[in-house]
Amino acid sequence: MAYDVLARPLRLMGSTALALTLAASLATSLSSAASAQEKDTLVIARSMDVNALDPARAFCDTCQIVLTSIYDPLTTLAPDNKTIVPRLAKSWEANENQTVFTFHIDPTAVFADGSPVEGKDVKWSFERLKNMKGNPSFFMDGVKSIEVTDPKTVVITLDASNSEFLNKLSAGFTGVINSDVAIAQGATADADADKTDKAEAWFLTHSAGSGPFALSAYRPDDELRLTRNEAYWGKKPAFSEVVFRQTKDSVAQAQMLESGAADIAMQIDMDTAGSLASPQVKTEIIPSYNFLYIALGAGAKSNTVPLTPDVRKAIALAIDYEGMIDFTVGGKGKKQSTAIPNGFSGTEGLPERKENLAEAKELLKKAGVPDGFEIEAVYPNDNIYGVDINLMMQKVQQDLARIGVKVSLKPSTYPVWRTQVNGDGIPLTAVYYAPDYYGTGQYADYFAMMPGTSWSKRAGAANNPAIINSKEAPLLAKALASAGADQEKAFHELALEMMADNIIIPMVSPDLVLAHRADIEGVRYSACCNLPVAEISRKK
Amino acid sequence: MTDRTLDMALPAANSRPSAAARALAALRRLPAPALFGGAVVLFWVIAALTVQYWGLPEPLQIAGKRLQAPSLSHWLGTDALGRDVLSRTLHGAVFSVPVAIGVVAAGVAIGAALGAIAGYVGGVVDGLIMRLVDVTVAFPPILLAMTVAAILGPGLVNAAFAMVIVWWPIYARLMRAQVLEVREREHVEAAVAGGAGHTRVLCVHILPLCWTPILVNATMDFGQVVLLAASLSFIGLGASPPTPEWGSMISEGASRFYNWWVAFGPGMAILTLVLGFSFLGDGLRDLLDPRSS
Amino acid sequence: MLRFVLRRVIATPLLLLGVATVAFFLSQMTKGDPLSAIVPERQMNNPEVVAAAKQKWGLDKSLPERYALYIGNLVQGDLGTSFSTRRPVSADLADRLPATFELVLAAMSFATLFGITLGVVAARYRDRAADYLARMFALIGSSLPVFWSGLLLLFVFSVQLGWLPGPGRLDARSVAPPGITGLYTIDALLAGNLPLFVEALHHLLLPAVVLGWSVVGVIVRLVRSSLLEVLGQDYIRTARAKGAGEKRVMLHHALRNALIPTLTIIGFSFAYLITGAVLTETVFSWPGIGSYAVSSARSLDFPAIIGVTLVGSLAFLLANLATDLAYALANPRVKLQ
Repeated sequence: MAYDVLARPLRLMGSTALALTLAASLATSLSSAASAQEKDTLVIARSMDVNALDPARAFCDTCQIVLTSIYDPLTTLAPDNKTIVPRLAKSWEANENQTVFTFHIDPTAVFADGSPVEGKDVKWSFERLKNMKGNPSFFMDGVKSIEVTDPKTVVITLDASNSEFLNKLSAGFTGVINSDVAIAQGATADADADKTDKAEAWFLTHSAGSGPFALSAYRPDDELRLTRNEAYWGKKPAFSEVVFRQTKDSVAQAQMLESGAADIAMQIDMDTAGSLASPQVKTEIIPSYNFLYIALGAGAKSNTVPLTPDVRKAIALAIDYEGMIDFTVGGKGKKQSTAIPNGFSGTEGLPERKENLAEAKELLKKAGVPDGFEIEAVYPNDNIYGVDINLMMQKVQQDLARIGVKVSLKPSTYPVWRTQVNGDGIPLTAVYYAPDYYGTGQYADYFAMMPGTSWSKRAGAANNPAIINSKEAPLLAKALASAGADQEKAFHELALEMMADNIIIPMVSPDLVLAHRADIEGVRYSACCNLPVAEISRKK
Repeated sequence: MTDRTLDMALPAANSRPSAAARALAALRRLPAPALFGGAVVLFWVIAALTVQYWGLPEPLQIAGKRLQAPSLSHWLGTDALGRDVLSRTLHGAVFSVPVAIGVVAAGVAIGAALGAIAGYVGGVVDGLIMRLVDVTVAFPPILLAMTVAAILGPGLVNAAFAMVIVWWPIYARLMRAQVLEVREREHVEAAVAGGAGHTRVLCVHILPLCWTPILVNATMDFGQVVLLAASLSFIGLGASPPTPEWGSMISEGASRFYNWWVAFGPGMAILTLVLGFSFLGDGLRDLLDPRSS
Repeated sequence: MLRFVLRRVIATPLLLLGVATVAFFLSQMTKGDPLSAIVPERQMNNPEVVAAAKQKWGLDKSLPERYALYIGNLVQGDLGTSFSTRRPVSADLADRLPATFELVLAAMSFATLFGITLGVVAARYRDRAADYLARMFALIGSSLPVFWSGLLLLFVFSVQLGWLPGPGRLDARSVAPPGITGLYTIDALLAGNLPLFVEALHHLLLPAVVLGWSVVGVIVRLVRSSLLEVLGQDYIRTARAKGAGEKRVMLHHALRNALIPTLTIIGFSFAYLITGAVLTETVFSWPGIGSYAVSSARSLDFPAIIGVTLVGSLAFLLANLATDLAYALANPRVKLQ
């Protein structure tokens, strides 16, 4: 751009002034706090969606990063994003049919206050997670009992086989809390914890974990600060402080990176990523496990025509999937066939979704609506993973118009959307999903047309039981009772069934822009922990 | 708003030139900025009425590559979907102009009716209406509009409804003050003494003399309504996409301000329309109410 | 006079009660189910959890009971608990109020300084180019949507030129000064930290200018017209006749008298600033009341919405009260209702 010629020297002047100011303030802060440890702050520009910072209540993408930095889960996911490796548990054994798991806690593990991590803390944290009846409580679904056989050993027994149980335990929401500290603040793990626990507010400003960092401050809409846990029992993180700075949109994040005000930004959209010019900024574009999808409410009250399997298939065939990826993320995204992210067990070799207008029209004719019909689309008016849902839905509107399906767009606020989708249902909606842990089971539990799943209810199984696909539940049970190739095969068959349901139709799995200053090392995207902050360092 | 009672500056009732001649004479007395403002407003009104016949690209259809900078084929560039920003900006008038007129008209109608009743009837009725007015104006306008719009759900009609709730009390106060003053005048007393009914006294003898300050205020308020409507859309509580409403277009542009042209068209549209209304309102006020200039 | 003051002072809490009542009943008319904002997504179909939430948040009570409870708590200063932050609304507001206050204060200072200067220039050079320019600048400010002018200025001064920092109250690496007043500029000075003061000022500049510009118009108009009125009066002619220079006439005689009505307009423009602050804070990611209002309206967080509305109305009413009182003091002859 031409004006950059002028902008450079001006910007240089500005940044010199800034540097002087910074140097001055750094000098004051250094002199005021004499510390033996080296001080360096990592700044992450991020639009934060924090709803709580209590592992048993929180449920958000930012929470994944923060909680896995503060609390140690029993396991974690290796950088290959597939292998489960030890974290708080030094080792474990499972019985043959994956129903009894014995964990041996690392003997060196201590909480931030120096007290040892014990089996009672694991039991207490897990029971509290379950009894809080919050969003993340599903991590404890199927747990029959938790026994502490000695201070460093915990035995967990499940109702049914679950070969993905270890994967679940890598999520930050299953992080282990220092039970003595939390109980002193009014926390409880009793069966009625959802009514009697009084520690929610305390967790917003304090933490009680054994992880590499501790929470030092959280101001909503402003910033969240972590300080290094100097008593950390593992490898000490390089940064003494991590600041998550609330930065709403992509452009502002990019600008903070370019000016050096931030070190890392993960929510830069593709258009903006293309305009990042500074040699001081490195961008990596990598496939993500996030996806956006449209969902058809076959049982929604305001449907004008029944959304039969043929009609649903016609809609799926009318989408211009390549064009969708160009539109929403400038071509920087992947197609996804069903509601399981590419790369998760069972997705290999799935047939791609393709546009076929002729067949779509044929199907509509067969369904008795050759001229199409009107359909109402209500969806949360959000901008997520670099995709503006409004834009995405405008593309859906244009695509479906080609087969005569007239979509009326009704963007809504999230709570109104939620009331409607869980109430009368919505004929056509659009939402998004990011993995809570590395495992295919969570997608079946949420998206498959099995009785009781979130989406079978939302899609209207109560009004329209025909949408239930009875083949899916046995396939899931089979997959969770097996391992390796057998597991993969069962999940693959399940994925094919979910694809044929055509209730959930993924639009795009947007690539992720990992942008950071050139002097930052160790930035990676993890399916369990989003961004493992403790691994990041600054080049000397 | 302080409820000053404004003096009347209507032409004397006894010598009545034709309406057209009076309008022309008034127009000639308007200062240049007011004429300019009037022309800008007229442009947007004409755009609102006729833009679909101007042969512009469809505002909802893709007209070219996405996010193109302004060029000869797309004077204001294209947006994130590849739609022509100029066309969308001009089509925005179809929503903003009627909303402004509708909100002010409804506000004036409701406010004037309640204000007139309060002023003429007095007593408990007056007290009730005016306490409602007091409470409504105690809300900061945007917070009231946001609350109502959030409750009703996003949408242009809901936002307009929310704004009527914000605006009517101003006119109620103005009208009440006028009615209180005019009803003391001799000709009204004469009419009452002559046995005219209340409705007749109010509608024939009082109301026709009360409109000036309301008209002046209304002209000034059009611009404010345009701004508030765009603000509500900007924060996602007004018009919903793909409607080419100016506020929601700026909101689309806000998340990609390296592509400054996406928000430039609608921004300029709001600026010119509001400026136009301000100039026009200023001129009208100078003309009708010389004391306050 | 005293009666008027007393009446207005007594009316304020009553009006606030009215505002709370209207806001409370408005909030009950929503299409969105408050439960959907409270009950965890994945527990929506668990009747036990839903019943517990209803009981905990008082949603199982009848409307009049809830209203009585709300007003009862309100009188004791309890605004309820926010659905989304899960903290007391009063604590949320207390945390955010200083940010908004600092912004509005800075914007008002800018608007006053600029408004009076431009108003004097406009009056001094009446009907000449300077007059038109000054008035045009002021008028553009009040016609620009702050959410667009904010974006433009950010783009030019922060992105393109790099002269000013991006959104936020401080650089991310900086730590907020010890919270004595909550105004970062003042607190930094009190802590003797000059660089931090400069930094806070840097961050404050752009939003304050954007917000302030939107009310400059009102001030210019008033200063100009009251100056022109004063300039036409006898004592000014006397001063001129006595040979006082134009500058002296303007600054010593005219402006001093014209300032009294101007002071009242500043209180009045405060009302506009509250409106503008909501949008300015959204554009500049300013963690104040305005951005809280927007996020709570979007998430239908009713305790928060009502809380913000009450605080906004209180500020609004106090500003109006101050304006009326100042006006009454300045013009003792004015009939006060």
